[in-house]
Amino acid sequence: MSIAGAAIIWIALLGPVITLITRMSPGDIWTALTGAGNLDPLLTSIESGLVTLGVLLLLCTPLAWMLARDRLPFPRIWEAGILCSLLLPPLVIGLLLVFMVGPYTWVGTVLDWVHQSATNTFLALVIAEVYESAPYYVLGARAAFASVDTGLEQQAGLLGDRPGRVFRRVTLPMAAPGLAMALAVSWARAIGAFGAVVIIAYHPFGIPMQIFTTLQETGLYSALPYALVLLVVALPLPMAAYVWSARAERRRRG
Amino acid sequence: MTGTANVAYASSLEYLNENVVKPAFIAATGAGFSGTGNASGTLSSDIAAHEISPNVFESVGGDNITPLQPKFTTWYIPYAGTHMVIAYNPKSKYASEFKAYADGSKPLSTLFSSLLQTPGLKLGRTDPNTDPQGRDFIYMLELAQKYYNLPSDTVSKILGTSNWGTSNSSQIYAESSLDSTLESGQLDAASAFVTQAIELHLDYIPLPPQINLGEASLASTYATATVKLENGMTKSGSPQVIDITTIGTPTPAGEAFVAYTLSPEGLAQYKAGGFSLITPTVVGNKSAVPAAILSELGS
Repeated sequence: MSIAGAAIIWIALLGPVITLITRMSPGDIWTALTGAGNLDPLLTSIESGLVTLGVLLLLCTPLAWMLARDRLPFPRIWEAGILCSLLLPPLVIGLLLVFMVGPYTWVGTVLDWVHQSATNTFLALVIAEVYESAPYYVLGARAAFASVDTGLEQQAGLLGDRPGRVFRRVTLPMAAPGLAMALAVSWARAIGAFGAVVIIAYHPFGIPMQIFTTLQETGLYSALPYALVLLVVALPLPMAAYVWSARAERRRRG
Repeated sequence: MTGTANVAYASSLEYLNENVVKPAFIAATGAGFSGTGNASGTLSSDIAAHEISPNVFESVGGDNITPLQPKFTTWYIPYAGTHMVIAYNPKSKYASEFKAYADGSKPLSTLFSSLLQTPGLKLGRTDPNTDPQGRDFIYMLELAQKYYNLPSDTVSKILGTSNWGTSNSSQIYAESSLDSTLESGQLDAASAFVTQAIELHLDYIPLPPQINLGEASLASTYATATVKLENGMTKSGSPQVIDITTIGTPTPAGEAFVAYTLSPEGLAQYKAGGFSLITPTVVGNKSAVPAAILSELGS
């Protein structure tokens, strides 16, 4: 394929982004960001996104590692499970979460005893974002761990390192760029999560909900600045992760 | 008949249009039906901005059709009425109290002066800036405050804000999801039209005509309730009426849908859905109304 052909496809993919940038003046962006209370959805999105990443790192990394190292019996079943989770449309995830952690479920009842709720709260927002992004992280992290040469891990073990130390000193650094990329994809999915959020976490507003309600209230044009804000806030992490993993790949090859 | 009736309808008409009218209309005329539900105010601005291009518009309140005149239409026909109730969740921890208000064993004044002000009670309503029902709920509270001689801060306490027209409230949900949010237990009570409550089998507390915005003869009383919106406009209460019109150049299928809705068969479906029927008459330019539709008004 020629460079021209690739360029056409690339530009087509960037179409929405180009449209976004060319439609707005700096004045629009400034107004959108500085209106009273307008930064709150941004802060909510960032906070919930970071908490989500923390949850993914803590809970999903071990699962991804065990999948990559074939430590689980009947691996195809485990993979199928992750894929099912991946294939659920976000709206359906939201719907099912109501039946899973909503006010009438035992989870909802237990939470109610401690005056918490898994619907329309910050906790609900995090839950929705975790469910929308976790499968992407698990699959990405698994690929990252699988790319680490197990021979190196075995060598480290032969040289006296216990498994925990091998993981920390050998596996993790080598898998880090791939893990960063997986986290970056999950970050994008979490911060832009809408389908599950609109059902189970309508409040507090993150940026996607802000865009949705602004759209309904005052029309397409006034929702654009928030879309740009979302882009600007969500982009740095994936960009950094991509650059890091690309450099690591080049070093490995070279 | 070929063609498709492309109908934009107020969310409160969703159940009726999709489950009752649509199959009957298709069977009666052979035309297709494609519906979009949303808050009447949102639909009105979407039509004006060319974001959607329906050929029929069913709105709650003629004031959502007048901004579209004369470019998109020059007439509308009011044909059915509804009124406000308060829907509640039968599994809510306050359910027994709601039920007592619903069957009349407790005086309604304490619903507003006490129960709805309970901290922790999850009340749901819609955005007054885009949804007539969002404004109606506020009007209803104002009328209740006057009618039951309640303290002047009652409405503010129930809404949780003294800026009644704000869209920034944790009580506000999208109109299209309010009922399901109530059903799933995320809310204890929600604003509703009686027709929605009947169609969706929700438990509800009926309200007297002096506050429920359903009685045409009380229009001047309803008009004393007002709310100032975020765009600076002040709107006032009025009897809740459903209006229908065609948008743009009427298409055969669109005309057929309006004619069907206003036919005895169509109106009977609205009656069964809990709407009160008004004699349909044209508001606006009668000569622009297609003949097929005018002929239904005679019947």
